[in-house]
Amino acid sequence: MKRWPSLIAAACLSLGITGLSALDAKPPVAQKKVEKAPVDPKAEAAFREQAKKIAGGTELDKVLALENKERGIKLEPMPVIDDLTFLRRIYCDLISRIPTADEVASFEADSSKNKRTELIDRLIENGRFVDRWTVFYADMFRLRAQADGGGAALAWVHQAVSEGMPHDEICRRLITTNGKAGAAPEVAFVLGDNADPMALAGVTSQVFMGVRISCAQCHDHPFDVWTQENFYGFAAYFGKTKRIENQFTRTIYANESDQSVILWPPEGKVKPEERKPMKPAFPFEMASVSETPEYISRLNALRSKQKAERDAQAKAGSKEDDVDDLLADASENEQKAKGKKLEDAITKEAKKDAKSLNIKAGMYTTSEWRQELANLVTSPRNRFFAKNMANRVWADLVGRGIVDPIDDFSDNNPPSHPKLLDYLADEFVASGFDLRSLVRLIVSSEVYQRSHVYGAEEQLQTELEKSFLATPMRRMLSETLYDSIVTAGHLSDVKHVAGKNMKTTWRLTQVVKPNSGKQGLALTAMKLEQKMAMNAPAMTKDDELAPGVDVEKGIELDFGKVLAKAKEDNKVEVEEMRVMSKEEIEAERMRAQMQTQRRGVEYIDRYAKATFDDNPRFGSSLRMASPAVPEHFLRVFGQTDREILGETRDHAPNMRQALMMLNGTLTHEASRVGELETMYSVLAEKKDLDAAVRLAYREILTREPSTNEVTEAKSIINANKDLLNGMADFRWILLNCNEFRFLP
Amino acid sequence: MGCLDYQLNRRAVLQASMASILGFSMRDLIAFGGTDHAPTAEHVIFFWNGGGMSHIDTWDPKPGRPTGGEFDAIDTSVEGVKISQIFPETAKVMHHCALVRSIAGTNGDHGRGTYQLQTSYQQTANLLHPGFGSIVTHEKKQLGDLPAYVTISGRAPKAAYLGQKCEAYFIGAPGEKDPYLSFPEGIASARGNQRLEVLEKFNGRFAEKSSNKELKSTQTSIDEALTLMRSPALAAFELDKVPTSQLNRYGDTPFGRGCLTAKQLVETGVRFVQVNRGGFDTHMNNFPAMEAHGEIMDPAISSLITDLAESGMLKKTLIVMLSEFGRTPKINKDAGRDHWANVFTCFMAGGGIKGGTVIGTSDEDGYEPKDNPVKVSNLHATFCHALGIDPDKKVMTPLQRPFKLVEDGTPIKELFA
Repeated sequence: MKRWPSLIAAACLSLGITGLSALDAKPPVAQKKVEKAPVDPKAEAAFREQAKKIAGGTELDKVLALENKERGIKLEPMPVIDDLTFLRRIYCDLISRIPTADEVASFEADSSKNKRTELIDRLIENGRFVDRWTVFYADMFRLRAQADGGGAALAWVHQAVSEGMPHDEICRRLITTNGKAGAAPEVAFVLGDNADPMALAGVTSQVFMGVRISCAQCHDHPFDVWTQENFYGFAAYFGKTKRIENQFTRTIYANESDQSVILWPPEGKVKPEERKPMKPAFPFEMASVSETPEYISRLNALRSKQKAERDAQAKAGSKEDDVDDLLADASENEQKAKGKKLEDAITKEAKKDAKSLNIKAGMYTTSEWRQELANLVTSPRNRFFAKNMANRVWADLVGRGIVDPIDDFSDNNPPSHPKLLDYLADEFVASGFDLRSLVRLIVSSEVYQRSHVYGAEEQLQTELEKSFLATPMRRMLSETLYDSIVTAGHLSDVKHVAGKNMKTTWRLTQVVKPNSGKQGLALTAMKLEQKMAMNAPAMTKDDELAPGVDVEKGIELDFGKVLAKAKEDNKVEVEEMRVMSKEEIEAERMRAQMQTQRRGVEYIDRYAKATFDDNPRFGSSLRMASPAVPEHFLRVFGQTDREILGETRDHAPNMRQALMMLNGTLTHEASRVGELETMYSVLAEKKDLDAAVRLAYREILTREPSTNEVTEAKSIINANKDLLNGMADFRWILLNCNEFRFLP
Repeated sequence: MGCLDYQLNRRAVLQASMASILGFSMRDLIAFGGTDHAPTAEHVIFFWNGGGMSHIDTWDPKPGRPTGGEFDAIDTSVEGVKISQIFPETAKVMHHCALVRSIAGTNGDHGRGTYQLQTSYQQTANLLHPGFGSIVTHEKKQLGDLPAYVTISGRAPKAAYLGQKCEAYFIGAPGEKDPYLSFPEGIASARGNQRLEVLEKFNGRFAEKSSNKELKSTQTSIDEALTLMRSPALAAFELDKVPTSQLNRYGDTPFGRGCLTAKQLVETGVRFVQVNRGGFDTHMNNFPAMEAHGEIMDPAISSLITDLAESGMLKKTLIVMLSEFGRTPKINKDAGRDHWANVFTCFMAGGGIKGGTVIGTSDEDGYEPKDNPVKVSNLHATFCHALGIDPDKKVMTPLQRPFKLVEDGTPIKELFA
């Protein structure tokens, strides 16, 4: 895996977006700033020194222990979990699935003293780590595959995580980029809210800094310090940004206009002519520039080193895309396009597109205001920025935010452990805003590896969890649940002997009888249908359940292809999830059309064949076009539609989830025993029921069963005449039980 | 507000008596609660005509005018009220129905119009408002085993900040059984039930170890699922037992079957049924398309109203038919009509409205409201009024932003007896 900065740093420099330039960005002289009690660096350093003296655990554990002591917490922490519990938890959190029986065995056999940290390192390098944290970012940034350029944006974030692009750089690009949806994948962020300055102000503060400022859009914030003027000043950074739709090509851009649309005072408060363009102003307090805290020194040192590496690489002769070459290509495109309709529009576009590939910052008007904003938001001196990310990742892994809810940093909702949060934020900044380092820091700690509270009173349990002395019980993410069922049930590859489960179904449908009715009339009707289909509003597409969409299947997207294609023709076509045969879909379409067709047309019954080998394979849900359709497994288990700001995944059980788990194809197929599974040979050939039960426990619950549990399982299996069916029943129960879907 | 007080009273009464009455025949119980705000409806059948249905060619004909188009206006069972010839049977039951012919819409765009007509709110970035069906589900108790809110043949608007409990339960096509309501293929019911029994034991044992609330609610959700799976009320989703003659009365079309299903569902206690239908975006060949729509809709709608009236259900079932907008009075060069939001019509029936009422008028060519223009939010407030729901009741979003159930609407009192 190529890593940042080697691969994209050069490109980044050519865009004029440099991480270094942001380092000491000073806030502009602006209106009333929100004052917060400054952090005393000396006291902070003394605290860290004192913490180091505490025995046991990582530096993080020591900071927490001292802070808990200062808070007067006298409770004993819950013990660190055993190896297998750790194994299941870390697999689910880092790569979004449970371990396989082989992985369980190899971890048990590992005699290394540092086997946990070594495993953490391996999992962080695993390709699925990238997939899983792309989901994290996609939720955070509200990326939607269905939106303009949304597929490319998902693929871009995937690439950024894969290459280890620093978090500040990712955010800077999202805030600053102008260009065409798809071709410039980052614009999905601005276009996602239709480039509406007011919406973007709310989003920028809440998503990147964890501060809810949206209320101040209409009035001074009722419970907080933000004023309406703060909000307007903040929104003004986006005041010149606009969404443009090309009327010929239907392509969407974000670009800058000359005039800002943010006027002050707000509409209706004064006469329209008295409203003047608002000057952008950053209302969030920044750490003083007069001092350089240790974490910034460390960041500077790291970034200088990275820059030196980049320079050395550049000298070594790595050739970059030459702008002149690109322009030559563009003019070639121009020649090709000549003689075609809409010549002007197309050639202009072609030129723009060709240029936008590598010099988009030059092609589209660079937003100076948004660059300034991005530098301020992502500055290491903006404590909100680093704390927000540290807190979000912490909450995801530990189960509870230090600031909770995660997007409400406010005087009314102070962090439970401010020093711990400072520590995490400092380390995050010093690591060069590196996601992997942050994740590693958290999961290596004892805090992460603590047991849940079992059998205690609710009040004590809450107290332990609030002090991070115990981990709260967490349900798997919907993607993790899905992929874990696929893993436990060996569904990612075929498990039955090929052709053994061939099934053919016939569906009765009606199609138009050829030459029926008055031909002209039928033809008119057909044309009308086509036209009506073309005119179908965008909503309709979404309103109707498309035939052939399986709400339990996940068709993986090839992110590399998506990105390449987006760059190539600027249009991402997400493959649909079809499980019906082509003729079946066609028949379905005809049947739908029939409803509005004219008299005089006759219909004939036709049976459409759908043949399938009932030997299903299920892909990973991490790479699906997301969010999935509302009825999909992932959505039913909590994936949001990523539309609403601040909506988090709902982990509460509901009836639809129960129906899907009890009666769905996924759990059913995962339960069935295939001839190609180890389970088959243990059960059908060796007839070793004890071993089979143990295997089932390891494969599904990542643990050994107790003696009683073995006895119980055997009686469940034996209740069935057929051992394989009995095992299917037993596996179905394990897959459906709470122990499976809640992390240990 | 009286409305709010009443609402509290009614809910308190309901909660107290729910256990013993199991949700039915509650009308008698709550009658004393309302003064002038007694709910006149307990159920809603909401027809959504996606694409923007022409008002002139349906409920607001302009015969003899240049914009009138190809259809005649026909007499109805209500003296002086004429509708388009494409609805001959519906014309005969017009005395059960009401029309609001002066909706003053503001959005000529499908997405924005749909959003406003289904939620009463204007669409804004990064916030979502709940659809009317979710509001009803939020405010009215579920009756019986079936979900309170069902959508047929397509999706309904989202519940947004009203929460997952208020999302619609959907069925793909009328008469089609939800595949998730029965055990997987090849699992006989004895075997499936056996599995469930053991599962409950496993989950019970696991839940004993921890005081985590979600562990217990998993079992609740399974119990709910089983109740539904095993409920005789599920028959309301099926049309197998409907005699052919009855199917034919509704016009044996997917839409007709949708209406029949909707009828069975409200009779079984479902609070809100949404029936979606598309194909109204008639930019070309408007007239043959509308004629075809009439042939499908007319028998279904008229039979539904007749049947509900006969069984007495119509009194407490509000039927509403809406579109995101109407269509241009001017007929374009392709013999079509384009988007027109300035004025269009809402069709209503039952649910305690005064049959035969017509609220507002459009001008002689159907361009603008003439008398009594009606805001979209007033329509929604009217629906709420019929159901005894306070449209001004405030609900908090997850970000603690208070929103009224309906955006500043006033009920149209003239619609009620």
